[in-house]
Amino acid sequence: MRLRDNHLLTVLTAGIALGALGVLLAVWGNPENSGICVSCFIENSSGALGFHGNERMQYLRPELIGFVLGSTLAAIAFREFHSRGGSAPLPRLVSGVFLIVGCAIFIGCPIKLFLRLTAGDLTAVAGLLGLLAGVWAGLRGLAHGVHLGRNSRERGGSGFLVPGFFLLLLGFLLLRPGFVIFSQAGSGARHAPMLLSLGAGGLLGALAQRSRFCITGSLRDTLLMGRRTPLLWGLLAFVGVAVALNLATGLFQPGLYGQPGAHLEFAWSFLGMLLVGWISVLIGGCPFRQLIKAGEGDADAGLVVLGMFLGGALVQTWGLTATAAGVPMNGKIALLAGLLFVLGSSLLFRERAD
Amino acid sequence: MLQDRYDKLLWLGLLGVIGTLGFFLFAGSVRESAAVDAGSLDRAMEQELARQAKVSFVEKIYQPVSKLRQEGQLQSALLKLDELSVRYPGEAHGAILKGEILLEMGALDAAVGSFVAAVQRNGDYVDQHHPLSRFETIRQLVERGLREIAPRLQAHPDNPALAESRKQLFYLQSRLAGGCE
Amino acid sequence: MPTFSSCVSILRQGFGRLAIFGLLLLVIAGCEQTKERPKLKIGYMNCNNEQETRQRFVPLTRYLSEQVGVDFEAVPVDTHDFEDRFKAGEFAFTHTNSLLYVVLHENQKLQLLSAEKRGHFGARSAGAIIARADSGITKLEDIRGKRMVFGPMMAPTGYLAQYDLMLAAGIDPERDLGYYAIPSGSFKHEKLVYGLYFGQFDVAAAPVLDLEVMAKEGKITAEDFVVLAQSELIPYCTFGAAAETDPELVAKVRKALLGLTADATALVDGEQVRVLKAAWVDGFEELLDSDYDPIREMAKRANMPPYQKF
Repeated sequence: MRLRDNHLLTVLTAGIALGALGVLLAVWGNPENSGICVSCFIENSSGALGFHGNERMQYLRPELIGFVLGSTLAAIAFREFHSRGGSAPLPRLVSGVFLIVGCAIFIGCPIKLFLRLTAGDLTAVAGLLGLLAGVWAGLRGLAHGVHLGRNSRERGGSGFLVPGFFLLLLGFLLLRPGFVIFSQAGSGARHAPMLLSLGAGGLLGALAQRSRFCITGSLRDTLLMGRRTPLLWGLLAFVGVAVALNLATGLFQPGLYGQPGAHLEFAWSFLGMLLVGWISVLIGGCPFRQLIKAGEGDADAGLVVLGMFLGGALVQTWGLTATAAGVPMNGKIALLAGLLFVLGSSLLFRERAD
Repeated sequence: MLQDRYDKLLWLGLLGVIGTLGFFLFAGSVRESAAVDAGSLDRAMEQELARQAKVSFVEKIYQPVSKLRQEGQLQSALLKLDELSVRYPGEAHGAILKGEILLEMGALDAAVGSFVAAVQRNGDYVDQHHPLSRFETIRQLVERGLREIAPRLQAHPDNPALAESRKQLFYLQSRLAGGCE
Repeated sequence: MPTFSSCVSILRQGFGRLAIFGLLLLVIAGCEQTKERPKLKIGYMNCNNEQETRQRFVPLTRYLSEQVGVDFEAVPVDTHDFEDRFKAGEFAFTHTNSLLYVVLHENQKLQLLSAEKRGHFGARSAGAIIARADSGITKLEDIRGKRMVFGPMMAPTGYLAQYDLMLAAGIDPERDLGYYAIPSGSFKHEKLVYGLYFGQFDVAAAPVLDLEVMAKEGKITAEDFVVLAQSELIPYCTFGAAAETDPELVAKVRKALLGLTADATALVDGEQVRVLKAAWVDGFEELLDSDYDPIREMAKRANMPPYQKF
């Protein structure tokens, strides 16, 4: 019971920190309603590394680096860093790509979805319904035997590769070599002070590692266990704190229209988050959770992270990403391809009783 | 991990590479030859130069339009824009200038369409600090547009042109609000 | 107990009744099929000539017929004949310039359907008074004593708007110009621009839409002319409906016009023709009758129909 109380406390702390920093990072300079957005940050970071040419979205987001390295440090400190992997690596890589596709259609990851909602952006309601539907669909899949297989401890330290990659990114962030690009205009040029972002990311990474906090995980556990799950309370803490801070800072602007980084194609918002929720349940966590797990040495999550970077490059280069004007045809096709992928994977990875 | 000769060899190799890496990272760049240095990649600078060049270029090619505007020859400025749009089709700056001229001439609905076309092609116009920024103009346009269109839509809720204008104004309003674009 | 023959007899009767019933159904359905669609005429005001009018508006007319379920006939009509023919009940629908719409609305209770969108200003346009850039004429005041060319008298942006601009500036076109002329024949709008361009006239009353079209076609450049004055924006060409036309039909035609998109086609002489492209039109917009008040005011000031006093 004491352990559970400690866990609940950690989850609540993670939720509060996520909600607070999610709003404050926007106040301190990140784009509106995007104090924390894993998909946007990955697209920005992909651009900074030269993986796409959208000059308005190129910035090596310190928060991402903080998430992974904060998780790594916490995992090492509490002896929870274990190299593990080997569960359907290539499907996980592709899942990472489609996670970003789904987020790009909605314009935001599940964390940003809640940040948008808590700022009064009612267009995010469609995304929330989609995320719930996707989590439910994923759970139905799990219940019917769809799973990618367990990963297992691995020799050789494969779990260090992704933290190592992010350590390299930290070096790039601090040293700013000429081949790393930093936007001078657009959302890539909008950022909180570097050290603040890095510190916030590190703190959240550590808390998320300790608490196992995850947005889709919270929804999943709520659907399975109801109010008993600590993650639900973490989510509610996140939402409560974010609403309070948005109100306090004047960022709460309720309405459907004129919302930053939002479009009015609700059906596609629903489908985008449906894809994200569904994939997240099958691979064991939302984009944020994948970063945390990668930091803990989970090579499978590491592949998802690499897939997300690839996805971040593709959505910009191939014009898949939605904008305030709506969802482009290429994006709709990519989303449908993602749904094909998740349906096909469910068929192929389903364990059937003979 | 130091069992036998092979392990030692691997460690030696590792240390050697780390040392060489350290040398190149911290000391080697000073001794790099001029020829190699001249070719080194500084994308940030390249991008900044390209950005400044673009700003100068569009201001130069549309200078005749700006001149006609200053002289009060708004219709002629529009005609000049049409000529330039043949040579530079799809150029966002032409659309933004057209929007401004149409606004000056009182054609609000047509102006909104031009501003939307410009912003969709180039988001710099809604950046507050960009040299090409039209943030304030677009903000005032959105305010005025939404104020004027509301009663018209109330009187004619089925009018598709009004609905389209309102949708465009909401788009501009969303772009002004910021976000990841 | 029924015998075999009685069963056969019952079956035969049943089939017989069924056959008669089926035949009746066929006859009724056939009647519905061959019931004729109403035939109505749309009067299209000639801008230049009948051939051009047909070329532009027959596809649109066919499209409306398909959408609305009425056999419309496109009838080109000269501007000066329009009111009489409309008064005689020849047309259920009209397509005219906005001044003629005002005339028909005031005198014959024509209903407003929609306005045509074309050019920079959408469903509106304006009239400009222009001079050659090298003429030395730089402001409206300078046109006193000069030679001026107008468009057709019933052209809102080729005559009325410019006439009104001059009156507002205190220049009486009947007294203060050297002389003014209106080109003969068709293509008057282009003729007046060329007349100015080649020096036959010092000043021209040019519709801005024509300037736009000619500039796009490379026939003139922005540097060739100076705009001395330009009117406010007024509605462009307009579709109307006769007062006695069935309101349901009017609503259908209005909906069909407003819903027209660039890819809509109609079959004309065995060819699928893009309706809007053929008509030289970007679309249709719903305006209010009050949007035509500026034309009414201009017409009153210029003593033009429908407010002309003799």
